[in-house]
Amino acid sequence: MTGEGAPDGSGRTDRVAGALLAALGLAVGAESSTFDVAFLTDPVGPKALPYLTAAIFVGAGGFLLLRPGLPPVWPGRGVLTRMAGATAAFFLYGVVLAPLGFTVATTLAVGTLSMLFEGPVRKSFGAALGLSVALWYLFVWVLGLPLPLGALWTR
Amino acid sequence: MDALIHLVGGFAVALRPLNLALAFTGVFVGTFVGMLPGIGPINAIAILIPITFAAGIPPESALILLAGIYYGSQYGNSISTILLNVPGTASAVVTALDGNAMTRQGRGGPALAMAAIASFFGGTVSILGLALFAPLLAEWAIRFGPAEYFALMVFAFAALSSLAGGSLVRGLAATGFGLLLATVGLDPNSAIPRFTFGQIKLLDGMDFVVVTIGLFAVSEVLQLLEDTERGRSAMATYGRVMITMKEFTTSLGTMIRGSVLGFLVGVLPGAGGTIASFLAYSTEQRVSDREGTFGKGDIRGVAAPESANNAAANGAMIPLLTLGVPGSGTTAVLLGALLGLGVTPGPLLITEEPDLFWGLAASMYVGNVFLLLLNLPLVGVFVRALTLPRWFLLPGVAALSFVAVYAVNQSPFDLALMTGFGVVGWLMRKTGFPLAPVILGLVLGPLMEKSLRRAMALSGGEWGVLFDSPIALVLWALAAASLVLPPLLARRTRLPYAAAQAEGDT
Repeated sequence: MTGEGAPDGSGRTDRVAGALLAALGLAVGAESSTFDVAFLTDPVGPKALPYLTAAIFVGAGGFLLLRPGLPPVWPGRGVLTRMAGATAAFFLYGVVLAPLGFTVATTLAVGTLSMLFEGPVRKSFGAALGLSVALWYLFVWVLGLPLPLGALWTR
Repeated sequence: MDALIHLVGGFAVALRPLNLALAFTGVFVGTFVGMLPGIGPINAIAILIPITFAAGIPPESALILLAGIYYGSQYGNSISTILLNVPGTASAVVTALDGNAMTRQGRGGPALAMAAIASFFGGTVSILGLALFAPLLAEWAIRFGPAEYFALMVFAFAALSSLAGGSLVRGLAATGFGLLLATVGLDPNSAIPRFTFGQIKLLDGMDFVVVTIGLFAVSEVLQLLEDTERGRSAMATYGRVMITMKEFTTSLGTMIRGSVLGFLVGVLPGAGGTIASFLAYSTEQRVSDREGTFGKGDIRGVAAPESANNAAANGAMIPLLTLGVPGSGTTAVLLGALLGLGVTPGPLLITEEPDLFWGLAASMYVGNVFLLLLNLPLVGVFVRALTLPRWFLLPGVAALSFVAVYAVNQSPFDLALMTGFGVVGWLMRKTGFPLAPVILGLVLGPLMEKSLRRAMALSGGEWGVLFDSPIALVLWALAAASLVLPPLLARRTRLPYAAAQAEGDT
């Protein structure tokens, strides 16, 4: 907790979360009602469990909407920006893994994360490269787990 | 004494060279991963499951490895709790009180030694309990029909929902989220797709490894970005890792009480290590704190929660193995691993797979011996790793998570899914929703739906069958009690509910 964030006013977060939960519950219920089967293989059918989750969401969401609890402390803008950067690194890793291959993609993603944790640039990427090569050796050669080589280089 | 004979047979399995090596590897790797700031047992296990699968070892050996990781990561967690005051799980919060006070007095070494010895004690007591009670429970559970199983799972969900985070509504919502994730994919009975939105990759459903790593590990990395300015942790001097005979004898009663209490609490669904260590600590405070030294570096304040915590971890294996119904997030992940290995835990496991069951029980003990004999001398190595900077350690955890998630299906799509669950997990942490019930719902949901459908098919659609037998009625009553009682009990025993809010391993 860096203390730069501020609590929201009067349980607004919980009210928003409650409304979203209840709405999700209604959507789940609506979607579940389309799970029709031509002939019933069992008396319960595929709708029962989804209906149950829909009911839990509507109930819990409604409760939070009416009786919100303690408000959370949200982080400040600087931390949120770093988090957005980390999320982007996580997501883009999945995108570039197949074309760039394991070692290059992992070096880029892990190096970026190290920088977000305030590591020095050169050391961050150096350590990331070392780690990627070590993991490649461990998984591909020792454990026999196939990792992508990189479609760009192996064409 | 039948059980003890079987246990000896189990040691024959556990002492095979491969299994011995795996138990050691598990304990060692688990200690290392569990020690990393904020990374608890559930992260360590989830990350290492796909790697275990990939290694292609037999089920009992894989389970021995995973169990070793489980215990090791708990001890690793104690190291960072005692030396750095950063408990990675809620169950270690109590250890921090006296453990870190001892470190500040320059007695970190004895605290670390006590943690290892108390864990060993808890392990010994609870393994004997496991060997004695698991077969009894299994014999009793053979009579369970689908209706009883359905009620039992409702009990597990109710208990974890009300105990995991301190807020029943949030716990229920988290359970509901897990059940919803469990329904994604082809319905096994009617083969119609549910919540797949035309995505072929979702037809197989959500893999629990992807969800667990996203919800726990990725969200933890995001969470830790909030306090990067600490960068490198200042390491305290901790002295010799040894306790005196006097410290041992004063703590002996504490350890015995802690172990028995922890074991009993661990068997119950929902409670787990967190409640066990809180309860053991507050009991011990009442029983033996005559000079008011608890909280100021009393070694018994380390012995109580550590013995209880480890005993609870083993106790939690009983419902997992004999009923096939886990009561916590961590054991839910272990159930997922078992099912992935083609092993269906249940009352027949002990008789049909004696090698697996008794081998695992014995290897738990072997793992505890490793913890004691190897971790004490090696503490210096682990502590050195703790002083590595965060910018190096945490991205390393992320890299392992990438490999683990990719290894599940060799699919980059799972990595995107993991990222999404990471963001959801972070939002849930921030807004006070517990994460463990999501995993329990996801792993147990399909089994619950299956037993409901089977019960109803047998009764021809008559809902009364769910409440027909005395066993089922008792289980329904337990479920109802676990929803109503914890808030009342918490008020009476002054169980620090707020502390349990810290996301734990339950």
